[in-house]
Amino acid sequence: MSDEHATGSADGPPVAGEYVLGVLNAAERRAFEARMAQDPALRSEVEYWERRLGVLASELKPIDPPPRVWANIESALAARPAQSGFWHHLPFWRWAAIGSAAVAAASFVALAYIARVSTANEPLVATLQASGGQSRFVAAIDSGGRGLTIVPASLPDFGQRALELWLIAPGDHPRSLGLIELSRPVHIDLPNDLMPRVRPEATLAVSSEPPGGSPTGLPTGPVIASGKLTNL
Amino acid sequence: MTVAPECAKVGVMSGPTGPTASLERDAARKQLVAALARVAGGDRGALQLLYRDTSAKLFAVCVRILRDEGEAEDVLQDVYTTVWQRAGTFDPARASPITWLVAIARNRSIDRLRSGAMAARTRTMEEADDVNDNAPNALAQIESLQEERRLTDCLGELEPRHAVAIRFAFIDGMTYDELARRMNVPLGTMKSWIRRSLLRLRECLER
Repeated sequence: MSDEHATGSADGPPVAGEYVLGVLNAAERRAFEARMAQDPALRSEVEYWERRLGVLASELKPIDPPPRVWANIESALAARPAQSGFWHHLPFWRWAAIGSAAVAAASFVALAYIARVSTANEPLVATLQASGGQSRFVAAIDSGGRGLTIVPASLPDFGQRALELWLIAPGDHPRSLGLIELSRPVHIDLPNDLMPRVRPEATLAVSSEPPGGSPTGLPTGPVIASGKLTNL
Repeated sequence: MTVAPECAKVGVMSGPTGPTASLERDAARKQLVAALARVAGGDRGALQLLYRDTSAKLFAVCVRILRDEGEAEDVLQDVYTTVWQRAGTFDPARASPITWLVAIARNRSIDRLRSGAMAARTRTMEEADDVNDNAPNALAQIESLQEERRLTDCLGELEPRHAVAIRFAFIDGMTYDELARRMNVPLGTMKSWIRRSLLRLRECLER
């Protein structure tokens, strides 16, 4: 694992470190978390300090919790609906899309998926990554280029914000492909006028937008993940 | 749930060192990664395994910060239901399972502590005997030996009082205010100690 995002210039207080240490008060913690939700570099820095300082926790002697804690957890889980349907397979997607061989693994899984939904010889796929390098989505173009399936890989919480998918062909401005979801794969029919733009080197990007999507027709919120289409 | 006494718990302090211990630690880590993957897939049995192997460590983290076993039980329950929901966001390329779990347990405990629900509570700062501030060699088991040694070495390069402040902050979840009172220095001094120590630590860790 790389520490490259944690070594950047450190002007001002090292607030990610202060956050992880736990010295901030409640208001400062919420304010920092709001910033972190918009800034993958801050998140990386928090992960850096969690990893580095985390070893201090081993100074504590383990204490067995009373059995009622597990009993309470079990009852809490029982109240949740069971997972079913395609969602059931999602963790496999997610787990395939993360890790050191993220792109290769994600592409491999995309291939396996496409094998079921298409007969294309050279399917187009993209792994959409956060700026910190974390794989967030895997997208695959249907055979014939008429549709696209996008699958969430890792799922940070974006609250009430909508997620909008954009196609950016080289030299072109972003074209909306519609809203997507964090909780399940979404299939999108590509509009006829956009099909020619769906080719290798075009970029897919996901931005965080107000509920209902961008009011302007162009991305208004931060881009949370992007990646180029490539032939598998 | 029956907790098998022979089960290997992670994060036991002062464990053995050497190649065998390192292999065991690797195996324990892989086991936790696999358990988290199964939890992400909705496998309750895997959550139970995860709980069996990590709950004593996380409970110690919660009890230490909250100084109240009842509160710590509530938070621990919250931690594992959170893990149940969010296991799919765990990324083994970015964190070890135990680092990820400890971070959740600490965040939940600190948030509970700062929520005001416990504001009236007076924390007894003298109950620090369950952590040995002078025993960096007790750092063990949850990360690679290399990471442990580096942190230990780098803490050793700080002024001793600063290193102690870093430990109190992390282990006890103290705010700047509490740290300043605990160590009997002005608030501004404590802030500059901690901030300078963080910068020095990073500089040292990157060396």
